[in-house]
Amino acid sequence: MARVTFRNVWKKYGEFAAVKDLNIDCPDGSFLSILGPSGCGKSSTMRMVAGLEHISAGDILFDDRRINDLAPKDRDVAMVFENYALYPHKSVFENMANPLKLRGQEGARIKDRVTQAAKLLEIGHLLERRPQELSGGQKQRVAIGRAIVREPKLFLFDEPIAHLDAKLRAHMRGEIKHMQRTLGTTMVYVTHDQLEAMSMADQIAVMHEGELQQLGSPREVYNKPVNAWVAGFVGEPAMNFLTCEITNAGGKLMLTHPDFALALKPEQMKCLNGAGTAATVRMGVRPDALAISMTRPAEPAITGKVFVNELLGGDMIVEVELADARIRVKTAPEFAGAPGEACYVTVNRDKWHAFDAVTGKAFF
Amino acid sequence: MTDTLLSPEPSLRQSEGLFRVRQLLDNVEARPAPSLIAEPAKLNPPPSKAYFFWLMAPAILLLACISLYPFFWMIYMSLHDVEIGSATWNNFENFTRLVTDTRYLKGWTLLFQYSLMCLALQIGIGVFLAVVLNGSRFEKILVTTLLMPMMMAPIVAGLVWYFLYNGTFGWYHWLFQSVGLLDAKSILASPGTAMLGIVLVDVWQWTPLITLITLAGLKRVPQDQLEANMVDGASPLRNFFSITLPNLYPVLLIAVMLRFMDNFRFIDSALVLTGGGPGNATKILPIYLFEVSFKFFKLGRGAAIALTLLVVTIILGMILVKVFDRQQTRKS
Ligand SMILES: Nc1ncnc2c1ncn2[C@@H]1O[C@H](COP(=O)(O)OP(=O)(O)OP(=O)(O)O)[C@@H](O)[C@H]1O
Ligand SMILES: [Mg+2]
Repeated sequence: MARVTFRNVWKKYGEFAAVKDLNIDCPDGSFLSILGPSGCGKSSTMRMVAGLEHISAGDILFDDRRINDLAPKDRDVAMVFENYALYPHKSVFENMANPLKLRGQEGARIKDRVTQAAKLLEIGHLLERRPQELSGGQKQRVAIGRAIVREPKLFLFDEPIAHLDAKLRAHMRGEIKHMQRTLGTTMVYVTHDQLEAMSMADQIAVMHEGELQQLGSPREVYNKPVNAWVAGFVGEPAMNFLTCEITNAGGKLMLTHPDFALALKPEQMKCLNGAGTAATVRMGVRPDALAISMTRPAEPAITGKVFVNELLGGDMIVEVELADARIRVKTAPEFAGAPGEACYVTVNRDKWHAFDAVTGKAFF
Repeated sequence: MTDTLLSPEPSLRQSEGLFRVRQLLDNVEARPAPSLIAEPAKLNPPPSKAYFFWLMAPAILLLACISLYPFFWMIYMSLHDVEIGSATWNNFENFTRLVTDTRYLKGWTLLFQYSLMCLALQIGIGVFLAVVLNGSRFEKILVTTLLMPMMMAPIVAGLVWYFLYNGTFGWYHWLFQSVGLLDAKSILASPGTAMLGIVLVDVWQWTPLITLITLAGLKRVPQDQLEANMVDGASPLRNFFSITLPNLYPVLLIAVMLRFMDNFRFIDSALVLTGGGPGNATKILPIYLFEVSFKFFKLGRGAAIALTLLVVTIILGMILVKVFDRQQTRKS
């Protein structure tokens, strides 16, 4: 168990910087999730922690001990590789037993731990097989098994359940989270699936093109995104963005859009302090902060046309066509609007965000 | 708050209580309806191989003409007393006499000695060189330089070394002697060291081949497995033996196969260096065969010896192929 600190960490491949000036503090026993799109430097970060990649600049610390120059075997971490990295000439059992064997555990204990882990991962019946005889999802579970047979200082999971089916994925999310809590081992968990990050992590580090965008609890990242990119990346279905203007109507600031106008609340006005009136902002609002109806409501509403309906079982996503944009609204499956019909969308006044139109930085 | 719900008692944390085992497989909702699908009444025929046979037929025919004819001619000779222009049947005497021919039997022992020594040294040095060269800065240049001995005709190599070994003006001889490894006699001149002399030449000439093959194999050793093993806690040496070497087995087997077959067949350099001497110290079977056939012109006996050599080579080759196949099926 260890506290992991990234201090101004850079990773450069030649001229290309894959990770830029990363600063993260991950307390002992907590669950850090690194979230970002493909190619943003998540695996590079992970590999630097494991000791598989040279740290170009900066330091990584375990409990205030600088580990930059430590060999991988001396770092006492367990890693699940993105591409499984199983040993093809060894059976599943031997694959999972490898870390224990290399650390000189005795046979009975190895057998014990491996069978347990296999049972947890539902691969008990596969122990005699070789990796080539497994499906992608089974391989992935063997890779997880190899990591959890030991009690290391730190778990490094690189997209460990990306290849499982939805049901098993949900199951494994719970199991991994539970295991991490029970063992109390610090976990760094890389994923590009924001649902995984949201549901499991104590802290999410959102990365984009090698830069850390936001570090915070799942709630913070979801409710108070620091910029438009994070806001758009986190949340499913994605946040709607509309270009609006701030206008001054008799001392009251209004958010105006060709289709609607919205009065700002005092605390929202305060957050806007930098930008004056007549400034362009990007308004961001999540589909579930919008309400749709086929009849004109009392409060001011955006007028649009139903573009398409997507039924998701318990919810329905309605895509609404405005004059210059399309927005998505989450509603009940009973919604009866047919494509092409006029509809009215109202905004929850507490639950929208404003971003700088140029820099994308969030005002609130 | 979920914390208290999920964590088991501390006493259970040690071993089996570590994981909350929820067996999806045992749940009713995880099982699909029992299958009622019957086996298919008739299976489709397997894909036909006739097409491939006809594609290969011309090549097989050509091979038959140029290689099978001499083969049967050799068998014919081995069963007869062959003089120039005549051949008389001699009741397998060519073969039966081999059993008591001490030089023939000695030839086998020497051949195995020679070939095992060559193989061990070549594999050892070759793999070592490959590992050292792999990924080094001057890899390309060094490998090219290293390959030069291989390009030389074996008979030329034999001659070059013959001069280097020479007892009066050989440079290597002088070197060995000044280090105190040899006395005044050339390495090829004393029965105790002559075998080593010809082994060294073969090693010098063919180690580069092993290095080349191993280098190609090393490039294919999966990086991710090495990394996984490192994280699992392996030292570099351990990593080499548990990941690199198993991945090298197939290419090393091919290398062994090539080299041992060549050792059984090619004697150019040995013939130039010692011609089987001093005495019979380096008279490995192929040299003896050469003498019987082309010095004493006992073509029938020579053919019989050649046939036994061929059979043994084929058997050893097949054993290696079997081992190789087992490796392959284990891998994929
Ligand atoms: N060995 C390397 N040499 C050069 N560039 C590399 C190397 N490894 C990764 N990169 C580059 O660094 C960037 C980050 O790669 P990384 O593997 O960390 O991405 P990732 O966030 O893990 O993506 P994914 O979700 O697809 O796994 C990518 O643009 C990639 O092209
Ligand atoms: Mg990755």
